[in-house]
Amino acid sequence: MKMKKLLIHIVIVAGLFFVIDRAAGLILKQLYRQSNATSEYKIGYANAETTEDFLFFGSSRCLHHFVPSVFEEAYGISCFNAADWGIKNIYYHYGLLGNILSRYTPKVIVFEIHPCDYLDTPYSGTERAGSLAPFCGMSEECDEMLKISGNYWPYKLSMVYRYTGSLPALLFGRWGGMDRSLMGWKPLDGQMDSTGLIAEEFPFPIHQEKLKLLERFIQDCQAKGIRLCLIVSPMYICTEQDVYKVPRDLAKRYKIPFFDYFRDLQFMGHAELFYDYGHLNREGAVIFSKKVCNDLKPQITQINIEN
Amino acid sequence: MVVNSLTFLWFFLFVMVVYYLCQTKKEVQNVFLLACSYWFYSQVDIKMTILLVILTLVFWLLGKGIYHFMEKEDERKAGLLTSLGVTIGIGALFYFKYLNFFAESIASFASFLGFHMSWTALHLVVPIGLSFFTFKLMSYVLDIHHGKLPPYGKTRKEDGGRRKDQSTPNPSYLGGEANDFICFANYIAFFPTILSGPIDRPKPFLTQTNSARQFNPDQLITGFRRVLWGMFLKMCIADRLDIYVSAVWNNYEHHSAISILFASLLYPLQMYADFGGYSEMAIGVALMLGFKVAENFKRPFFVLDIAGYWSRWHMTLTSWLTDYVFLPLNIKFRNWGVYGTIFAIMLNMMFIGMWHGANWTFFLFGIYHGLWYIPLMVGGGFFKKRKIKVNAHGWPKQQYVWKMIGIYLVVTFGLMLFHSATIGEFWHICERIATHWQGGLFTDLSAMVNGAICLIALIYVDIQEEWFPKYQLPLPHQINRWRWELTVAVEIVAILLFGVFDNNQFIYFQF
Repeated sequence: MKMKKLLIHIVIVAGLFFVIDRAAGLILKQLYRQSNATSEYKIGYANAETTEDFLFFGSSRCLHHFVPSVFEEAYGISCFNAADWGIKNIYYHYGLLGNILSRYTPKVIVFEIHPCDYLDTPYSGTERAGSLAPFCGMSEECDEMLKISGNYWPYKLSMVYRYTGSLPALLFGRWGGMDRSLMGWKPLDGQMDSTGLIAEEFPFPIHQEKLKLLERFIQDCQAKGIRLCLIVSPMYICTEQDVYKVPRDLAKRYKIPFFDYFRDLQFMGHAELFYDYGHLNREGAVIFSKKVCNDLKPQITQINIEN
Repeated sequence: MVVNSLTFLWFFLFVMVVYYLCQTKKEVQNVFLLACSYWFYSQVDIKMTILLVILTLVFWLLGKGIYHFMEKEDERKAGLLTSLGVTIGIGALFYFKYLNFFAESIASFASFLGFHMSWTALHLVVPIGLSFFTFKLMSYVLDIHHGKLPPYGKTRKEDGGRRKDQSTPNPSYLGGEANDFICFANYIAFFPTILSGPIDRPKPFLTQTNSARQFNPDQLITGFRRVLWGMFLKMCIADRLDIYVSAVWNNYEHHSAISILFASLLYPLQMYADFGGYSEMAIGVALMLGFKVAENFKRPFFVLDIAGYWSRWHMTLTSWLTDYVFLPLNIKFRNWGVYGTIFAIMLNMMFIGMWHGANWTFFLFGIYHGLWYIPLMVGGGFFKKRKIKVNAHGWPKQQYVWKMIGIYLVVTFGLMLFHSATIGEFWHICERIATHWQGGLFTDLSAMVNGAICLIALIYVDIQEEWFPKYQLPLPHQINRWRWELTVAVEIVAILLFGVFDNNQFIYFQF
């Protein structure tokens, strides 16, 4: 085969790849939008469809702890729990914020802060930005996070690659999964077994890049006039470490409310309210949501006055 | 640097461009290839690269010495040098891979007998690819001694002296003495195959270094397609199955018998896709550089007995041990009749097991497989040709399907031993299978569905290649003329959709 013919064949392969990739990518994108599988629904809705005024950001603790209907009834504004499980960190949250702000500006964001948002945790790094892959190109912040994760150009060049490994969830996710009427909250039913538990420790240094992103998150919210609150949910058993010093100091510096329920005695040690040592069950989530709702009232009232 | 990584892609693109720019000058091309191979290996460990160079030099000199004494008909000295080469090769393997294991085993046994003996394990890093390149080094000196391979630079006509091998004439080896070491070093350090094989024999490879490899678009495409298929096997099947198998196997105490059995049944397929995938990539990359290297897998589960399995699984290791271990042992013990053959087979399989690692589980794995040869030996089936007969539609007849399933189960049980960290763990797993039938099947929808879809593709391809080699999926004529381009495009999309992209290490790198 001559060189010229080889080049023609390479061009044909590239062309066929482009067509198949785009066609399959569009089908996958459609399946993604319609999926009820927890992550696909939560991430998809939060990034591309949410229009609610009151949003919760965070990882699994936020996903299971905050009941949007409690806040909607109390404040009279629309609310959505945009959190997702899988130890999502600031790399994901910052990209999510960028995608949301490219469409509209919510009034309130309550951010359930976790040590992986500012510490150099080995189990939660730049790979978490990979969840933003289906939204490549939606906002500069999202693309920036994808570039940091090292996968921006593959996601840019291939639509199929954005959904790698998720075909089963997309195919079967239309059945079961999340109850959309719960507005993003995923309750946990059951009670924990508290025998033999020890507190989780975080012996990790501060991650400078994560910290900078967290600051940019705060700054971007303030620039858009969003009322941002940082919050820490209760744990069944808590470390003696002052693990939330960093967000507390940040909140003080940027003058944003910081609600610390980490060692709240109403929850700490009460196994009947927990599903496992770090996640409240359904009952615990409702009690906690009502408590937070009450504590947040001055912030929300302030917004209503300003409006 | 793994073959299915972006780093390797950039490296290989650079190598290919410069490599074919040098195609008018064989010496330059060979030197460049060697430099790239050493650089590639140095990314693993620079100290081990020095060891590799030293061993290559030693064996090259040994080869020269063996041939020199054979020309002088001094069989004794030639034999001594050959034995020295084999000792150095086995010695290197023993030192890095087995010293701590045997010393600790002896110390444990001595303690069991009441003698106080302790051993402080040496902190040794096993060079990646050691088991593969030491076998190539030993092949070289053994083949020279057996008359199969004159040292590079001599033509057959120049080989005066005794010649044991009266097979067809070798092609004349061109090039001067200065090229000898470079070509031999390329054989040993050839980067597509140094880490995990295939274990090539010296003659076929060295013949190819005899002349510059010219840019061949057809070969390039064939090689690329094999690389792509290898990536599919590794990333879409092996790594997907690994998610499920590891989740169950690493926590077997918390899983039911049915989950453990299911994971065990998936493991042979995972191994096949992992190692077979790597071999495909290695063969493909070699082909893109103009080298044809030995095949390593040939649909190993479509067989009727254990001998058939080993004739299709890791073929280069099997044939190496058959030629250099089994056949000499079989000749040595020929006076024992069938018992001599059985003994030779058991030793051979024991070596196959131990080759994989320093653990009693590998030893027992080898013995287990050796035991399955005994019915073949005694029944006379070992020396018979094993062919699967097909029905009128071209499918294997039902009795053969059951035999294939039977062999798959035999292999599965052996791999349970292979996969266990210790014999104790293996027994605990067997115990759990026997007693913990309560509890359902562990499910991981993503791993199972993704893996199943890709497995169906593998089974389809293997069945088609085995029993319907002329069959092609019917396509409209306009699309049919672009068949292979379409296949390539679909494969790339499939890898992007189903692949695991966290650069999982190949299982056979640890051997």
